[in-house]
Amino acid sequence: MAVLDADLQPLRKEENRQARTAWGLAAPALALMILILLVPVCVAIVLSFSNYALGNPGFDWVGVQNYERLFTRSTYEKMFIATFTYVVTVVPISVGLGLGAAMLVHSLGRIGDIYKTIYFLPVMATLLAMAIAWEFMLHPTIGMVNRTLAMACGTWMEAIAFFGNGCADGFPLWLRDRDYAIWVVCFIGIWQGFGFNMVLYLAGLTSVHRELYHAAEMDGARSAWERFRLVTWPALGPTTVFVVTISCIRAFQVFDTIEAFWPQGGGPNKSAYVMMFAIFEKGVQQNLIGIGSAITVLFLVFVMFLTLIQRWLVERKVHYG
Amino acid sequence: MKLTTTAMVLVLSASAVFAEEKVTIEFAYPYSHLFDVTYEAMMPAFKEAHPNIEVKFRATYESYEDATNTILREAVAGNLPDVTMQGLNRQAPLIDKGIAQSLEPFIASEADFEKDGYHEAMLSLSTFDNTVYGLPFSISLPVGYYNIDILRAGGIEELPTTWDEVIAACKTMKANGIDNPIFWGWNITGNWFVQALLWSQDSAIVDGGRVTLDSPEALVALEQMQEIFTECEMQNLEWKAALSSFSAGDIGMMFWSTSALGAVERSQGDFELVTGPFPGLDGAPMGLPAGGNAAMLTSTSDDPKVRDAAWTWLKYITSGDGAAEVAKTTGYMPPNKAANEIILADFYEQNPNKQTAVDQLPLLRDWLAYPGDNGLAITQVIYDSIERIVTGDATDMNALQQEMVEEVADLLPNG
Repeated sequence: MAVLDADLQPLRKEENRQARTAWGLAAPALALMILILLVPVCVAIVLSFSNYALGNPGFDWVGVQNYERLFTRSTYEKMFIATFTYVVTVVPISVGLGLGAAMLVHSLGRIGDIYKTIYFLPVMATLLAMAIAWEFMLHPTIGMVNRTLAMACGTWMEAIAFFGNGCADGFPLWLRDRDYAIWVVCFIGIWQGFGFNMVLYLAGLTSVHRELYHAAEMDGARSAWERFRLVTWPALGPTTVFVVTISCIRAFQVFDTIEAFWPQGGGPNKSAYVMMFAIFEKGVQQNLIGIGSAITVLFLVFVMFLTLIQRWLVERKVHYG
Repeated sequence: MKLTTTAMVLVLSASAVFAEEKVTIEFAYPYSHLFDVTYEAMMPAFKEAHPNIEVKFRATYESYEDATNTILREAVAGNLPDVTMQGLNRQAPLIDKGIAQSLEPFIASEADFEKDGYHEAMLSLSTFDNTVYGLPFSISLPVGYYNIDILRAGGIEELPTTWDEVIAACKTMKANGIDNPIFWGWNITGNWFVQALLWSQDSAIVDGGRVTLDSPEALVALEQMQEIFTECEMQNLEWKAALSSFSAGDIGMMFWSTSALGAVERSQGDFELVTGPFPGLDGAPMGLPAGGNAAMLTSTSDDPKVRDAAWTWLKYITSGDGAAEVAKTTGYMPPNKAANEIILADFYEQNPNKQTAVDQLPLLRDWLAYPGDNGLAITQVIYDSIERIVTGDATDMNALQQEMVEEVADLLPNG
C-alpha cells in the first residue's frame, strides 16, 4: 500500500498543480463575468422586490407587489401587447425576406454583391439616426410619405378607399395615430433588420453541398420548389434556428425607434410601449428602480427562454453536419 | 533632469492659475429652444461685470422632467452642477432629498436685497417652510395665440373668452374651410394645462397632501377637454410640431404657455399674431398655474469662492439687466419687480403680445408638485390618460377618472 501511495503522490500533486493553473488562468475571465454580468443580474432581481427610488437614502421591501402590478395594470398590458405584436410581426417577415433575398442574391453571382451592399446598408446605419430621418418622412403635412400619397389624389387611384379618405380628410398622422404607430415601427424594424438575416443566410447557403442538389435531381426532384423543400430548407436548419433566435432577441430589444419617435409616453395611447422602453421610462426617466428592475427580470426570463429553446432545437434534430 | 522640468512646468502652470484666480462654476438649464438666446444675450455683460467667474454650461435638459431626473442621478453619482434651473413644480422633491440648498445665509449677507427687486410675493414660489431655496427666474402663464389672418378667413372677428366660444369658433372655421383650427396644449410639461383647468375653477390638484383627481372639478376638467378635442376635431400633434405648424401659419388658435412667444415670433411666417387671455369655463378663469423655472443652488463645493461665485451668478440672472433679458428674448415674465417696473417700463407697451400674461398676473397660483417620490410617474399617468381622450380611445370620462385615480393612488406614499 505504502509503495502505491508513494507512486501516486507526485501524480496527484501534478494534477493539483495543473488544476490550480487552470483556475488561475480562468480567474480573470470568471471574475469579470461574475462582476459585470451575474452581479448586476442578481442586483436587479433583488431590487425588483423593493420600492427603491433613485436619490433616496433607503427603501422598503414590497414582496411581489411590482410583479403583481406588471400583470394587473392596463399600462403593462399595453406593454405586452406592443412587444408581442412587434416580435410576432417582425421576426417571421424579416426572416422570410432575409431568406428570400439571400437566395436571390446567391443565384446572381457577381452582380449579387451590389444587392448585398444595398440590403445591408440599413443594418450598418444607426437606427436612432434612421428613426429621425423616418420621422421627417412621416411628418403629417410636410413629410415625403404623405406628399407622395397625395400625388394620387385626382387620379383613378381615388377609387381605392384608403386614397379616397386620405384625399378628402388628409392622410394618416402615422406616428400620432394609435392605429398606425406600432405598424410603422414594425415596418422600420423589418426594413432595418432583414439585411442582417440575409447575410446570415448567405453564409448558410454557401455551406450547402452542391452534390445534394444533384442527388435530389436524380431522385426526381425536378422543380425549384422541390429542391428548396427537400434540400435547401433542411440544410439551412441550423442557420434558421440561429437567425430566428437572434431576430427574436433583437425584436425584444427594440428601443431606438420608440425613443426617437415618442420620447414621452411610448406612442399614442402607449400603442408602441415596448418592454425596453418601459424599462427605460420607469427605471431611468422616472427613477422607479423597483418596477424597472421587475420588467428587466421579466425581459431576461423571455430572452433566456428563447435561448433555451434554441439550444434544445440545435441539440435535437436540426443538425445535418 | 526630466523630473525637474516636469516639476517646473507644474509649478508654472499652477502659478498661472493663481494669477488669474478664475473661479469656474457649472450650470445647467432646460429648454434650449427657449433659453439659448436668453443666456447668449446675458453672457457678455456678465463676463464684463465678473471677469473672474467662468460659467461652464452643461448639456441642456430636454424638459423639466429631464431636469429633475438628471439632478437626482447626478446627486447619486456625486457630480452635481453648482447652479441648476428647475421647474417651479419640481423644486419640492429636491428640497426633501436635501439636494437643493437654502439660500438664506446668502440673502442674510446681502445689504439691499429688497432693493434689487426681490420681494415676498415672487420669492414665495420658491419658499418652502419659510426658507428660500430658489430664486424664480422666469414666470409664465397660459395664453391664447391667435392667427388673425386664419380667424378672419374663418369668419371669426372676436377673440373667444370661454371654451364654449372657442368650440363655436372652431365650428365656424371648419364650416368655412379651415382644416386645422386649434391646438390645445394638453401635452405641455407637468400636466400644466390640467392644473390650469382646475385652477380656473379655483380647485387645486394637490390639497393638503392629497391628489384631488377624484373631485367633481377634475371631472369637469376632463369633460371640458373631451369637448374641445372632439368638437374641434383637434389633430393629435406633438407639441414641437404644433408650435412649428402654428409659426408657419397652419393653425388658427393655439393655447400654450406665453413662454414660447419669443420662439414663435422668431420663426413666425407672414401673418398677424395676437395673444389673448386664457379662456375660462364660464367667464374668466379664477386662477392659473404659474409656469417657469427657478435657479437653485446645488453646489457640493466647500470652497467659499465657488459658492460665492455661484450666488453671484444666481443673483445676476434673476435681477437687473439679466432678468430683463428674459422678457426681451422669451415670452416669460421676469419675477423681479425692479426689472419689470424700471428696465422694462415701456417694453410691454411696445410688445402688447407679451403684455397679455402680465395682465393675468393677479390669477397667479402655484404649479403644484405631486407628493412623494413618484411625482414624475404620476405626471406620466395623467399625461397618458389625457392622451387617451385626444386619440379618442377613452370616451367615458367617468370611467377614465376612475382609472386615473386608481393608477395615481398606486404611486402615492402609503398608497
